[in-house]
Amino acid sequence: MKIKLELFGATRDLNNKDFIEFNIEGKSSIKELRKQIINYVDDKFKGNENFKKIIETSAFCTEDNNIVSDNYKIIKDQKIGIIPPIGGG
Amino acid sequence: MLHAKIVDLTKEKIKPENAEEFIASSKFGASIVFYGTVREDNENKKVTGITYDSHDDLVIKSFKEIYEEADKKLHIKNKSVFIEHVKGYVGLGEISIIIAVACAHRAEAYDLSRYIIEEVKKRSPIWKKEHYKDKEGEWLKGNPIQTN
Repeated sequence: MKIKLELFGATRDLNNKDFIEFNIEGKSSIKELRKQIINYVDDKFKGNENFKKIIETSAFCTEDNNIVSDNYKIIKDQKIGIIPPIGGG
Repeated sequence: MLHAKIVDLTKEKIKPENAEEFIASSKFGASIVFYGTVREDNENKKVTGITYDSHDDLVIKSFKEIYEEADKKLHIKNKSVFIEHVKGYVGLGEISIIIAVACAHRAEAYDLSRYIIEEVKKRSPIWKKEHYKDKEGEWLKGNPIQTN
């Protein structure tokens, strides 16, 4: 499956585009996706601890704009947004 | 009555007169317009501006939820609310958010205005990247959004 991870806030620094594509084998979950993003940071950013901390504390949202938990099952190609810690206003 | 919008500064400006026009009505006896603006210092750093990023759809959804919750939590049925937040680069002293409310009485208007800005800070997916005079800009840490 292809997951297009849409980047926001500090996670925009993870790529020069506003998304990262991940290929996931078989059924998966947000928990697995989070691990893959951390692996990506290990690979591309030498395990940058700041990035890892942001990913560990991020939420995720689906294409229909629902915030989903780590247990959310990913069963098809889709866009998922990563929502790092917020602080607007 | 609610107006909720993200203003993309690469396409348009945020306009206070739109807020005042939206909430103007003889049905209400109290109006408050709150502006969030960019401050020149933060944690002993000289700030030159802020770039705001947002998940537009989720932000609008959160504004609507906050508005609807005000009915239940504050019991203010009769009200007019205008919320706009910018995305893009904002210079010192410039506006990042406008919250304009109009209610029958002043106590309701103060409560509602405060409630909205506090909830936006907690729940709306908006991010700030501060820019500094003498160093590279950085994204502010923020607080994790709640998951169900």
